[in-house]
Amino acid sequence: MPPFPTRRQFLRSNAFGLGSLALPFLLNRDGLLGAPTKPFTDSLRFDTTGKPPLQPGKAQAMISLFMIGGPSHMDLFDPKPQLTKYHLQPFPGEIRYDNAAEASSKVFGSPWKFAPRGQCGMELSELLPHLAEIVDDITLIRSMKTGVNNHGQSMYALHNGRIAAGRPTLGSWLGYGLGSQSDRLPAYLALTSPHGQPLLNNDNWSAGWLPAVYQGTMVRPTAPHLLNLEPPPHLSGEGQRQQLELLNSLNQDHRAQHTGDSDLDARIQSYALAARMQDGAREAFDLSGEPEHIKKMYGIDQEHTKDYGTRCLIARRLVERGVRFVQVFNHGQSWDHHGAIHTALPDRCREMDQPCAALVKDLKQRGLLDSTIVHWGGEMGRLPVLQNDTGPEKWGRDHNTHGFSSWMAGGGFKGGHVQGETDEWGHHAVKDIVHHYDWHATLLHLFGLDHTKLIFKRNGTDATLIDGQPARIVSEMLA
Amino acid sequence: MLFVLLFLSAKGWGAPLFEKDIRPLLKAHCFHCHGEAGKKEGGVDLRLRRFMLKTTDEGPVMEPGNSDVSLIVQLTRKGEMPKGEKALTPSQVALLEEWVRAGAPVSREEPESIPAVYITDEERNFWSFRPIVKPTVPEGETNPIDAFISGPLRASGLDFLREADRIILLRRLSFDLIGLPPTPEEMQAFVNDASPDAYEKQIDRLLASPHYGERWGQHWLDVAGYSDSNGQEEDTPRPHAWHYRDYVVRAHNDDLPWDRFIQEQLAGDELLGTSHAQATQIIHESGAEAKLTATGFLRMAPDPTGGNVADVNLARNQVMAETLKTVSTSLMGLTLGCAQCHDHRYDPVSQQDYFRLRAVFEPVYDWKKWRGPNERLHSLHTAEERQQAEKIEAEAKQMDAERVAFAKNRLNEIFAERLAKIPEQDREQVRVARETEEGKRTPEQHELLKKYIEAKVGTDEGLLLLFDPEMDKKRIEMQAKSTAHRATKPKENFLMIASEISNEVPETFLHNRGDHDQPKEKIEPAAIEVLSPSQPVIFTKPKPELTTSGRRLAFAQWITDRKNPLTARVLVNRFWMHHFGRGLVKTPGDFGTLGEAPTHPELLDWLAADFMDHGWELKRLHRMILTSKTWRQITDPQTTSIRERIYCGAKLQRLDAESLRDSMLAVSGKLNLQIGGEPVSVSRDVATGRIIPGKEVINPGNGMIDKIEATGENAFRRSLYIESRRSRPLTVLETFDLPLMNPNCTARTVTTVAPQSLLLMNDAFTLEQAGALAERLEREAPLNNLDKIQRTWTILFGIAPTPIETTRAMLFLVSQRESLQKQGLDAAKASHEALAAWCQVMLSTNQFLYIE
Repeated sequence: MPPFPTRRQFLRSNAFGLGSLALPFLLNRDGLLGAPTKPFTDSLRFDTTGKPPLQPGKAQAMISLFMIGGPSHMDLFDPKPQLTKYHLQPFPGEIRYDNAAEASSKVFGSPWKFAPRGQCGMELSELLPHLAEIVDDITLIRSMKTGVNNHGQSMYALHNGRIAAGRPTLGSWLGYGLGSQSDRLPAYLALTSPHGQPLLNNDNWSAGWLPAVYQGTMVRPTAPHLLNLEPPPHLSGEGQRQQLELLNSLNQDHRAQHTGDSDLDARIQSYALAARMQDGAREAFDLSGEPEHIKKMYGIDQEHTKDYGTRCLIARRLVERGVRFVQVFNHGQSWDHHGAIHTALPDRCREMDQPCAALVKDLKQRGLLDSTIVHWGGEMGRLPVLQNDTGPEKWGRDHNTHGFSSWMAGGGFKGGHVQGETDEWGHHAVKDIVHHYDWHATLLHLFGLDHTKLIFKRNGTDATLIDGQPARIVSEMLA
Repeated sequence: MLFVLLFLSAKGWGAPLFEKDIRPLLKAHCFHCHGEAGKKEGGVDLRLRRFMLKTTDEGPVMEPGNSDVSLIVQLTRKGEMPKGEKALTPSQVALLEEWVRAGAPVSREEPESIPAVYITDEERNFWSFRPIVKPTVPEGETNPIDAFISGPLRASGLDFLREADRIILLRRLSFDLIGLPPTPEEMQAFVNDASPDAYEKQIDRLLASPHYGERWGQHWLDVAGYSDSNGQEEDTPRPHAWHYRDYVVRAHNDDLPWDRFIQEQLAGDELLGTSHAQATQIIHESGAEAKLTATGFLRMAPDPTGGNVADVNLARNQVMAETLKTVSTSLMGLTLGCAQCHDHRYDPVSQQDYFRLRAVFEPVYDWKKWRGPNERLHSLHTAEERQQAEKIEAEAKQMDAERVAFAKNRLNEIFAERLAKIPEQDREQVRVARETEEGKRTPEQHELLKKYIEAKVGTDEGLLLLFDPEMDKKRIEMQAKSTAHRATKPKENFLMIASEISNEVPETFLHNRGDHDQPKEKIEPAAIEVLSPSQPVIFTKPKPELTTSGRRLAFAQWITDRKNPLTARVLVNRFWMHHFGRGLVKTPGDFGTLGEAPTHPELLDWLAADFMDHGWELKRLHRMILTSKTWRQITDPQTTSIRERIYCGAKLQRLDAESLRDSMLAVSGKLNLQIGGEPVSVSRDVATGRIIPGKEVINPGNGMIDKIEATGENAFRRSLYIESRRSRPLTVLETFDLPLMNPNCTARTVTTVAPQSLLLMNDAFTLEQAGALAERLEREAPLNNLDKIQRTWTILFGIAPTPIETTRAMLFLVSQRESLQKQGLDAAKASHEALAAWCQVMLSTNQFLYIE
């Protein structure tokens, strides 16, 4: 046998060994299967064993630092002197408000100063001093657009391609297309905040209509991070080993009477993975072995950065151990600053800025950044005008999904690059727009997947993440 | 026939035809801009062949016989059309080209003009929209089901497999009908029953069991989207939903005919002729409670409007949209959701159709005059109960007053004693200061009370503890008495019902792109057009005396009409799915063009017709299915998707979430079989993160969970009775694929993932049941290990273990005991824990998890 199995060997060993991989997709890709006209319904089963991509991709894993609520781009990422110039004067154009009741048409100049950072000179707000240290490693997208002015819909757009619930999220597609690189951990994990669940709860990591095996597994914010990882003390070790051995022999006998049923194989395999997860997952979540300087780098030693830093560090440990897709969520929609932005926005930044920058630095120093995409961003930005005109301390900004910022690092994204522009007021993305579907196509591309070919047969149609939208791979921001 | 031939191309029979081959393609990809809803981009309308015979600036849209100049071929080939969409596949373009080259043949002469929504004969003739005609049963088999199944089976050179052994058959039957395993005694009785109808008697026994309704009721509750909470972020409890759950269970146990069952759920209030205002008054009239409870079906969708929602109007419209999803997928087998924003791309369902259906429910869910969840509750108190409750409250208030007076009296006495001890000249002023409210006292008074601090005896009853602890005990006794007295009030239950306001019928407008802020034309309540033969079926008041709109009653009658082609097909297909693990139509919630066609269309139609012919009675259908050879076969050891498709052998099925939990409880001896009533609360166990039965006790001070109160024997009730909070699914059930109700579930998924194994290996629930089973064995088979091993096999599987299995078990018990002793357990404890560890293995085997 050659050192690396050929595609066919791969298919054979998995299809008939485990009996349950995403066979239709793989066969289709190899043209081994005539295009079926009807959906695969109940006779096929799926798993998360590793599968090679169409072409070798740069990215092997992704960490999405998802900032629900809508961080204000004109106060953080996208300097707009025009706003300062016209501060508190009437906005001359048309504004697309979400909350017309509190709307004001007064321009709201950013209270924070911007300055060029790094070698590249990317301009960032003073609220993000740690991000300033890694600008040469990130692509800053200033022209994100979903165009649907509410949190839920815009989150759905970024997660699943369309503005409604029920479709599979990006992480599920990656698990379906590529499987997991770890035999000790699930392929897709979501890290939630100790302060509460994110807006939309489980919908953030839903497998939609993909088989449920591709659903994200929620990691609890506090120990135990996964349920039932601890064997009961008296069975721990030898006792449970004996149990699993007996169980395996009983199940093998049962299996022999039902040779055609691959689910029984998968079940037998799942005990093996579960046994490995008991060690693997526990070890992955255990930060006690991390050196102090690393913990300090993530801000785990400080009260305000402790929660987020811990989760960023866990995220790094997970991708290091082969997890394909990790989401890190804030609670609720804590970036939704309709009011009191003067105090609330710096507070949020203080919690996240250091840990997020540390994650990129740490991945880089371990040589993992080249193969790991880090995403930082929310589902929207904010409006150039002020909301809640009841005194400067109460000022805020309303939703804006027509133009907002996100940053990307690693996995094939350029360093020190700014992608796109919003208009002079920061309201609409106007140049080199990156729609959510363009973003998806680009991400799949970096993983070696093709957004038109990563299909799932559903209801007689070829369902995709992009769902027929005119997506383009945004090659300008790729290294 | 002659007519059709005339329009066939000269090039022969093989050419594609517009109506059959080309139009569905164009409808899916092009009509959105070229024809639908009056849109004709670039002046091009592709809905008829005639319309394509036109030339634009760029050239002819379609020139019959000449694909090289036809834009319809050229632009799609280059991927320039459809715009902003996925390009057509090469084979789709090739089909277009072939059609144009063949002269663009049509099946029949095209109509002179077409309405905005044009449904072709091909679409009307789609299998699920065709009338149900009862086919003749093929010869050769006694059971009609076998007669239909045997044809394709034998045509493939196969035959039914042999009948399964009685033990396997009874286990299968028992899980199928009541969701519980048979007891060893039941298995013994069946094996020993030599009568010719022994099997039929088992079916009758199980159908008569009150647990039958729990099992089959659960199937309907899935499609109805039953939940004990309101959903969305807040997911507040819905404490009264269970009345509807119990109604569904009772309806199944009573074998309520399904046409009535459906009518009651859609329009129970209108069957009674009642409005929102009258409902509470008539609730106790004969039969009224059940019919009103039934309308809870329309209250199952997530409804966060009782709490904080970001966009109120959106949330209200969403409740309506989710309700329509439930109604259409459960009863019509159609996914109408996408027609909320635009015409359905594949099925002949227009946006108008969607809003016609919406108009049926608009009087219940009038988003402009919204009633929140609490405004849709109706008290079940009788007049006497209400009176009684008021009387008890009055008495309790009297007791409260007496207690307060008692405390105050005593405090006054104490004050008087202390007052007597201070200098006489200050007494009057101190008395006045004490009687003055704290906030109104002058600085002098404050000073005075500080000076004579001993005389600062307040009047609040709680202070008695401070001044006279002995007497305070008496006060606490008095307080306990009034609390206890209040607790004797009859408990007030409520029904959550769907109802309408008298003589108030809101208008329904088509919402442009589904946006409620963009109303367009007014829409009348009517049947979807493809099911309206010639004249549209308008849903108007079937009984003039109704003060409500009568729309739902009319809709319910139409849905359950013998001539409705969808309802009975959808229902019997789902019944079939629950018996066989897959439907005759494998997409039970989608009978449209995107769904799958039936594998056995004649059987499906025969079953549907027969079901209606015999009074829509489900238990009769169960008997027919369960006595068929088709159902009684052994599982196919060499199953393949093809053999499975033609029903060669039965399908091995994993226990669903509820059956797994319930059967573990059943064999451990813990199962509490109490039927109906309030659900058992669930809570999040802070230490382990699991959702478990239990009641959260909230600390009023900080709003945090103080502790979780165990629910005692209630924790072991059947899964149906465990509170179904959308955001808090019981961990044991969720891990094994309990569906999320957002809004409902038409077919469950089955996954095989490691967290399931972890649960069986380490979860406290598994360990508890294994321990309880071990204790049961120690009681029932005290003799020795061999005895216990055999008893386990009898309880779990009804059979004896093989010698190899016995030997393995004996060896395991020995080595496990040794391993436990090494950890410091004494001999007796180690023996017990070893047995429990073995029981745990047995409860985790595939033999236990799967039904043969």
